[in-house]
This record gives sequence, structure tokens and C-alpha cells, in this order.
Amino acid sequence: MRKQSIQKATPFRVTLISAAVAGALLTAAPAFAAVSVKGVVAGSYFTPPVNSDTPGQAVPSSTVPSVYAGAKVCFDLNDNGVCETGEPTAISKADGSFLLSSPTLAALVAEVPVTATNAGHPVTQRLVFRAVADQVAAGRASPLMPASVAVTPLSTEVARLMEDNSTDYATASADLAERLEMPVADALADPSKVADLGVQADLLAESVVLTDRFTLAAKMFDRGDAGAATVKASQQAAMNVEGIPRYDHIFIVMLENKATLSIKSTGYAPKINQWLNSGNQFSTYFATGNPSEPNYTALGGADDFGITDDSQWNCGATGANAIKDLPEPTSSRPGLASSPFTSPCSGSVNHNITGHPNLFNALSSHGMQWRTYSESINPGQDFRTDSVADANVKVADNVYAPGTLHGNTTPVGNPNLLLPLPAGLYKTKHHPGMAYQNVRSAPEFISSNRTLGGGQWDSVLLSSTKYTAPSGYNLDQFSADLQSGDIGQINFVVPDQCDDMHGIGVSGKDSVTGATQNAGDCSSVSNNFGANGVLAGGNIITRGDNYTDYLVNKIQSSPVWSNRNKRVAVVLMFDEGNATSGFNSCCGWNPGNSNVAKPLKQNPDGTFSIDTTVAGYTSGNRGHGNSIFGVLTNQPNAPKGIVDSDAYSHFSFVRTLQDMFGLADPKVDGSYMNRSKYTESFIAANILNLPEYAGSADTHFDSVRPMNHGYVIPAAYTAKQSADINTPAQVGPDGNQINVWSLK
Amino acid sequence: MQDNQSNPRARLPLWAAHERLALWTTRLPLLAAVLLGGVACTVQALEQVEPLSLKALVGKRMFFDPALSGSGKMSCATCHDPNNAYAPANGLALQMGGARLDQSGPRAVPSLRYKDNTPPYADLADNPDGVSAPGPGGGFMQDGRADTLAAQAKLPLLSFNEMANKSAADVVAKMKRADYREQFLQAFGAAALDDTKLAFDYAAEALQAFQKEDISFHPFTSKYDLYNSNKIGGDLTPAEARGLRVFLDPNKGNCFACHYSGAGLNGSVALFTDFSYAAIGVPRNTKEQPAGAARPGHAPVYDLGICGRDDHAGPKNKQYCGMFKTPTLRNVATRKVFFHNGQIKSLTEALRFYNTRDTQPALWYPKVNRRVRKFDDLPAPYQPNIDAQAPLDGRKAGSKPPMTDEDLKDLEAFLDILTDGYVVPAKQAAQQTAK
Repeated sequence: MRKQSIQKATPFRVTLISAAVAGALLTAAPAFAAVSVKGVVAGSYFTPPVNSDTPGQAVPSSTVPSVYAGAKVCFDLNDNGVCETGEPTAISKADGSFLLSSPTLAALVAEVPVTATNAGHPVTQRLVFRAVADQVAAGRASPLMPASVAVTPLSTEVARLMEDNSTDYATASADLAERLEMPVADALADPSKVADLGVQADLLAESVVLTDRFTLAAKMFDRGDAGAATVKASQQAAMNVEGIPRYDHIFIVMLENKATLSIKSTGYAPKINQWLNSGNQFSTYFATGNPSEPNYTALGGADDFGITDDSQWNCGATGANAIKDLPEPTSSRPGLASSPFTSPCSGSVNHNITGHPNLFNALSSHGMQWRTYSESINPGQDFRTDSVADANVKVADNVYAPGTLHGNTTPVGNPNLLLPLPAGLYKTKHHPGMAYQNVRSAPEFISSNRTLGGGQWDSVLLSSTKYTAPSGYNLDQFSADLQSGDIGQINFVVPDQCDDMHGIGVSGKDSVTGATQNAGDCSSVSNNFGANGVLAGGNIITRGDNYTDYLVNKIQSSPVWSNRNKRVAVVLMFDEGNATSGFNSCCGWNPGNSNVAKPLKQNPDGTFSIDTTVAGYTSGNRGHGNSIFGVLTNQPNAPKGIVDSDAYSHFSFVRTLQDMFGLADPKVDGSYMNRSKYTESFIAANILNLPEYAGSADTHFDSVRPMNHGYVIPAAYTAKQSADINTPAQVGPDGNQINVWSLK
Repeated sequence: MQDNQSNPRARLPLWAAHERLALWTTRLPLLAAVLLGGVACTVQALEQVEPLSLKALVGKRMFFDPALSGSGKMSCATCHDPNNAYAPANGLALQMGGARLDQSGPRAVPSLRYKDNTPPYADLADNPDGVSAPGPGGGFMQDGRADTLAAQAKLPLLSFNEMANKSAADVVAKMKRADYREQFLQAFGAAALDDTKLAFDYAAEALQAFQKEDISFHPFTSKYDLYNSNKIGGDLTPAEARGLRVFLDPNKGNCFACHYSGAGLNGSVALFTDFSYAAIGVPRNTKEQPAGAARPGHAPVYDLGICGRDDHAGPKNKQYCGMFKTPTLRNVATRKVFFHNGQIKSLTEALRFYNTRDTQPALWYPKVNRRVRKFDDLPAPYQPNIDAQAPLDGRKAGSKPPMTDEDLKDLEAFLDILTDGYVVPAKQAAQQTAK
């Protein structure tokens, strides 16, 4: 909606250059050296959502434009990001305004102390905003008038960008405006003065994120964190938490059940291999559970909470874990007569995780958004149920021309075979947030779960009568969102059970012979396909390869991707491998058959103790081998062809995502969710409560770290891997330590 | 206590500062035990972590109670010896049971360890390896006839040649006289012994609870567990490492194809069985047979595994004849007899059988009219059921066996490390931390 009001980005730069030139002229003229500013310290006031297991108690977040009163604003004559004695200083008034004069033009610094207020609310953590001298200069409409400058999170970001990229003000402010797809004047305005409500909303969203980052920066500076010795350095560090740069969007393409060797060594996945080789890779990446549901649940929140099967999310959910997003989507509900959901569901292990943190709640708590895009759901179905079969919705079998499927010389597939829509193309076990009660109860749950096109049955899916599709139903919201930009920061892209290489039974009748026959490319094939040199039945791998390629191409041809000022990554990964032998997992795993693992809870005094409330916990988090993990970014200057062979797991990835989106503070263990906090130092400090790690022969392997390529593998170290990798284990360090996520 | 400086990975100053580091990086069950109030927490010193439930506690009493038998002298533990991985400690192919302890049991007694993740039997069970096609799998007893450990427990209690109770009522009557009667009523309710059928169900449930909860049934304290879970003391010797390769090599041992060592059901890891069934043509045990198996003047009776079950009888189930359940290989080195009929008496011999059944069948089967009668314990119509996977791949007599003598020695060295209760030699632990 709001995107329609936005013009193309290019004209903004023209406007801006002229402003910058004017600024340069002004600064160059000695007569105008003295400068006065009538400015405002402005930004956003964010009311976090109330995340709750109970839907009625969950409240969405809200953001309003705000001004900071009581901020100390100065001309930073020595340009060190600090207001010091001798520098012209003022305190912002109740309306955020300040008036300052200086004999020389300089950058503005606004130190916001805890005595200040933001939109009338006390500021709880000190932070620093800045505006560069060129912005001050550009704010002078006339030599006789004081410059008008809004010192905001975004003006601070321009300063940081200039320092980070060694660019000038014109470039940095244009880059920022282009990233946000708004005029420079709006990007650097007091948000309350931006008339277009769509633009204002975008501005506020960015302002909230930047405020968070610069708050972390001030914490890092005040603590004297390494790399945060100066205000400027701390603001860089806060954008690069644990070495993981801030991205705008990440698309995580979830594929199913293939060991590394099934993809890399069989010849059935040429396109994925091409993407892997053209981008960057993590080559020793481990799953954390077996089968799907624990892995997806771990990807949603760095723990599987003892789930070791694919059971429905209401199974074993009793007592404190009882389902709260009532009524359950059973077939007795109006409009859900076709629902396959069964209730109740007994079980000794709870499948409804209650009261635990996860990426979904964390994003919304920080003013960001998440999406899941799921393919082949029944139009009109409840997202909390598996999709169902429809005998009346039929399409032809896929046909692979010679040379398109592992060197086939004759076509594969039967064009006369008509396949009715099978059940379970969409499964809730493949939703990384489904097991979390507070995700299903979140206000944004319904609107954040969206459709993904490209499915085999899409052309006829709307004719299904199993549910009533809402009017204007879009089978491919993903494509629409890529065009409009209405995507999340974290986007789980979840193909259906044929396109994700999982495989299900799909059969139909040959319209000519009448014979019953299986689909040519959706039969399940073993996770470590080809491990014994036997290759048959790999068709579904090629099917998934084609679909993955379709997705990557779709993302890469979108305006989101081509806006290089947006930092966008695509991850190609599998939920699990196979681990018929060797190591099952690493990095926060529950080693071997240890029967002592318990989750931890944080006490009011900050210490951790054992949480005894999760029944069956100790069977979880034991892993399921290695699979590929590819990273593609839209950054033209980012290094390519990097292979990081350090051991990582889903828990490492969740930690990495928390760093990437500023959801945690690396100096505060408890700010990392669930098992993603299990770093070497954390385990050492809490070993008595983490007995599953006692007696470790390799503490690096056992513990979580961000996926930043920071660890230099010792020279004599032999990589630990599962039988899912059929290349010899690497001995010694990688050829370089370049970060896979590097932007430049 | 190990000095953390001796750990090659512990080079960060952070580590040196941490006094608890030693627990994390070295083997310190003793200190852990002290600090955790007596609960040791390393793999090496695994102890009961969760207290047994009331049901399990009474199940434990029953398990060791010889009064629960027709003879009054035989408890579950008589055959399932807790000091021998819950398998017999003697070398008898068949254990003696019955009301007068004079009847041979039907099959060699398996270990009761590592049963807790076994799914119920299905003709088309999904294989936990994620590789093999669905096939017969799961269930308890060597033919899978019992769906749960509870259902299984009832069978030997009532079997005439095992514990030989006359009936469920007979067992319940004994329970009523037992000194754990009150405990039983506490666990299952005051009326738990009033109704015979219900009471017998509860009795089975108690035995199941004991086996599921008591860590001695799934201790995971072998050297392999140290290796597989990245613990100090888990470094394999060269022979063990070679043996593991033989175990995994599809063209040599190929053992893991059935004795699956990867990630499995319910979060289990390395159970060394995929719960599947196979007919491998174990030679007939003519010396030690169950009563009635070979009566003069009668045709020999064959133990046909799955298709011997009432629910799998008849011609339409003939594809299951001769198939027996794949046992776990954990603690295999402590066994005295092997396979369902106990015909093989040592691990070395069992491995040789796998290696030379096809290449030198005369070593294993009798000669009739100067010809080796291969698969003499499986009638000819069922011999197509014989599994064809390596190493039992049906290669020609006289051809090269899949494994060399060295391979067999290494493989046995590897299987030796699947024995629970491994204690890391102090020297080895020190070496591993120091290297």
C-alpha cells in the first residue's frame, strides 16, 4: 500500500548532491565559518509487544515519533563523539529542541543520559546520537538563519556509514535513503515532521532498530568492550555484533533430509552446487535433532525441548503446557470441516513449548518482523494444520527432458499421469515457530504466515473445495512481497514436501492406460543418498534442485535484492542429514546418549540453575549429521568462494541470527536464547548445571559460537564429522579466516 | 585434577581463570559427585539420575522375585542377569525353566538392555536409519510378537518352559502374598489386585517401568559412548579404529546396515540395531533343542521366527519365515551364546560365520550325501527369504570372503568397546588431555 507512494530512488540522489554541493560551498567560505543550529533531538518511542502464551494477553508493539528532552547536545569540535568542556553545549528542551552556536562548523553530538526522557518516558540506557558537520552545513537554508538539523538515530547512521565506508556525506545519506526507499530529506528528518504516513512508518521502523543498536553501542563503550574504545568505534561494533554484520533481510530456504554427500557428490543437484560454489559455504554444519520437528523447533529458538518426533503441536500438552490458542483447529470448527487436526493428543513429551524465548518473539520485541512462506497449503486452511488431499485437484506429472535429470537420455516422468493433490504437502512440523505457544499466540502470527508459489498444483489449487479461500486469495504472497518489500527481517522459505526433497506418496492414474502410477519425482530417497555408490531414485533431489534454483532466481530478480543498499542474504540449508555413523552434532548438542541434560533457567540474580519442568528433555538435541549450508548475499563487494569449515549447528545459526539482527548482547549470556548461549565460557562457568558436557575431550566442538570464522583451527586438529560427508576430514586451519557474512 | 593448560584447546586466558574448567575438559567424576551431592555426572560414572517411580520400584522387586514362578526358584533375573548385561552368564544355548526347572526354554535368552526405544512390530516399519526401505521391524521377543515391554513381560511369566505360572490369576495370587504387596497397591491403587486381568496388566506395567526407568537397562557407559560423545578417554586404539571401518564398510562387515550405529528413534543414538528382521540361515542347533523340536519318528520342528507367530501364520506370511530380530550389539562381547538358537558359542565364531557362511559353508552346515546342506534350519520353500546383504551376500563357495583375518580381529576389537562399564585407564586419560 504505502510503497505506491514512494518514487524511484534515483531522483533523491540528484536532490541530495545539490544540497551537498551547497553545503560544501558554505563550509568553504570563511565568512560563514561561524555556525548556529536550531535543532531537535528526535527519534522514535517503541512500546514493545507483550508476548504471552495466552492470545488474549498478547499485545502488539507500537511506535510513535518522539523527541528527547534533557539530552546534552554539543558541537563536537574535536570530533570524538563526546561532549566535553569547552565545546558549545546545550540541553534539549521538552520539545526536543536546542539552540547552539559555534565559531566553527563541527559535527553535533547528542548524549542522551538516563535523566533524559524520550516522548516523556525515562530513558533507561544512555546512548549517543550524532549528526555530521556536512549535515549541519546542509541544514543552513540561508546564511542569516540558523541551520535546521534533526539529530536522530538515522543521522547517526549516516555518520557511521561515512566512517565505515570512507564515503562522504552525500554518498552516505543517499545510500541510507535508497536503502529505505525514501527521500534523503525524509530519512534525515524529525520523524514527526514526515507527512507521508507510509514513509514515516518505514522511518520509525528503522529508527527503532538503530536506537537499539546505538543503545548497545553505548553499553559497549561504557563497559570498555574490546573494539568499542571510542564512541565511533562502539557504534561500528554494535553493527557487527560478534563479527556478524547487520543485514536487512535474510531468506532461509529450508530443504529436507539430505546429507552433504547426497547433494555434493551425486550429480542430482547441479544448480545448488553452482550456487554453493558461486557464494560462500559452511562445510561442517550439523543438525541438532532427529527427525524434522526438533530441527525446525531448534531453528526457531535454539532448543528442541525434548521433542524427538514429528507429532502435532498439541501432543502431550497438559497442565502448564496446555494449549492456549483455543479453539484448536479441529474439523468441528466452522469452515474447517476438512481439517486433519486431531485433539486431544496424548504423549509423555510436551510438544507445546510454553514460556520460552524464540526468534519470532525476539524480532517483534525489537520492532522487527518475521515471515514464513509455505508452499502448497490448501487455500483457506488454518495454518496450524497440515494440508489435506483433494482428489479433484489434478495436475500432470512433471516431465524432465533428456539431459535435465542426472544426464537422462530419455524423458523422465509421464505427461499422461494425472496426479491429485496429495495430503501433507504442507506440514506444521516444518514450521520453525509452530511448537512455541507464544508464537502461535502472537498477534502477528496469522499475518506473518504467508503463501509461497511455484508449486506443482498451483495452477488448479484455487479450484479446491476443501476450504473456502478468502476473496483475493494469493497463492504466491512471496512474489508479491518481494515486489512490495513487505518482507520480514527473517524469512523462512519452506517448500512443500515434494519440492523440499522430503518426498511423500503421490500417485494418480494414467489418463490413457488407466494404470495407477507414482509421481516421477516425489518418491522419498534416503538421506545419505549415494553413500554406497548406488544411485537410483534421486529424481526428487533434482526436483528440489530446480525449485531451489527457482527460489534463488526469484529473490535475486526482486527489487529487494537489486537494492544494494539493502543487505540481503539467502541461506540454502537442510533441516538434517543422516549420521549413520560418526558425530551426530556439535555446538550446544546433547552429546551421545547422555541422560543428564536439563534446560537452564536464569534466576533473578542473573545466575543460572536447572529447570526441572521439561519432561523428557534429555532425549532431545542429539543431532542428525551434516548437510550443506550455502550463503548468497546481494553485496557486490562481498568476498565469494569462502568456505568456513569450523563446526557449527542450528544453535550456532540461531546465535548468528541474534547477532545479525541485534537481538542479544554478547556480554550478557542470558540475552541469548536457550542453548544458543552455550559458549565455551558459559559452559565452563555453568558446568555443574550442564553435566552433559562434563569430561569433554574437545570443548570447542561441544560449544556454541557465532558463525563468524573467527576460530583458527589448530594445525594438527582433525575435523570431526559424520558419515554424511564423504570427503576426508580436514586437518588444520582453513585457507583464510574471511567471514562468510562479510559485506565487503 | 587435570591441569587445564594441558588441554590443547584451552589457550584462551578465559580458561585459565576458570576453576570449574577442569570439570568441563577433564574426567572428574569424583569431584562432580561431591559437588552434586553424590550424583556423578560423567559418562564414565553414570548413575541413576531420576529417582525410580513407585511403579518402577515395585517392578524392581518383582523382577528379582523367584516366588513369581511355577518353580518358586526362578525370577526374571535368573536368565536376565543384571551382572551380565541382563543376559545369562552361563554358556547354555537354552536356559532351563518350567515348574520343575527341567524344560529347555524356546530360544537363547537375549539381553534386556537398550530395549526402551523399540517401536511396536510392523510388517512395514520405517527403518530408523533413514536409508533402508520399510520392512519387518520393531516389537519384543525375537519374533516381535509383543508390542511393548509390558506385553513382553507377561509371556515368560506364563510360558510353560520358562517361569511357568499356571495363569494370570496364579501370578496375581503370588503378588497378593508378596511382601511388596503394599508397595504395589500404593503404586497402582488400593484395588489394584482385586481384578485379575487388571492386576496382571499392572504387574506387567511395573516390570516395564523398572526396565524403562532404571539406568542399568540403558547405561551407555561403553568406551564407544566416550568416543561418540566426544569425551576424554574415547580415543580409539588403531585396531579399534580399523575395526570401526570394517563395521561400516558396505563391502566388508557392513554390520551397520542392520546393527545401525547412527541417530535413531526418540533421540536415541548408536543402539547398534535398527529393530529389523532378517533370515540369515543360522545352522540348526541339533544338540540343544527346545522340548518337542526333534522327536523320534516325527518330522523336525523348525523355529520360523516371525511366521511362527499366530498372527503371521499361513502361506500368505511365508515371506517372513526364518526372520528373527536384529539384536543390539551393545555388550555383545559379554555374550556366551549367539543367534536365536544359541548354536554359535563365541563372538569370534559368530564373526567367522558371517565371513565364511557362503565361502566355506562346510564349516557351518552338515553334509548329507557328501553335499553340504546349507541353511539346514530353514525349510527350502523359505530359503528365498535369506537376506542377501553383505557380508552374507551369497557369494560362491570357495570365493574370497569379504573380510580378512586381520579385519575380523579388528572388528572384534571394535565390538569389545561396546561393553558397558568401561573405566578409562588413568594413563590414557592423561595422554588424551596432554596430546
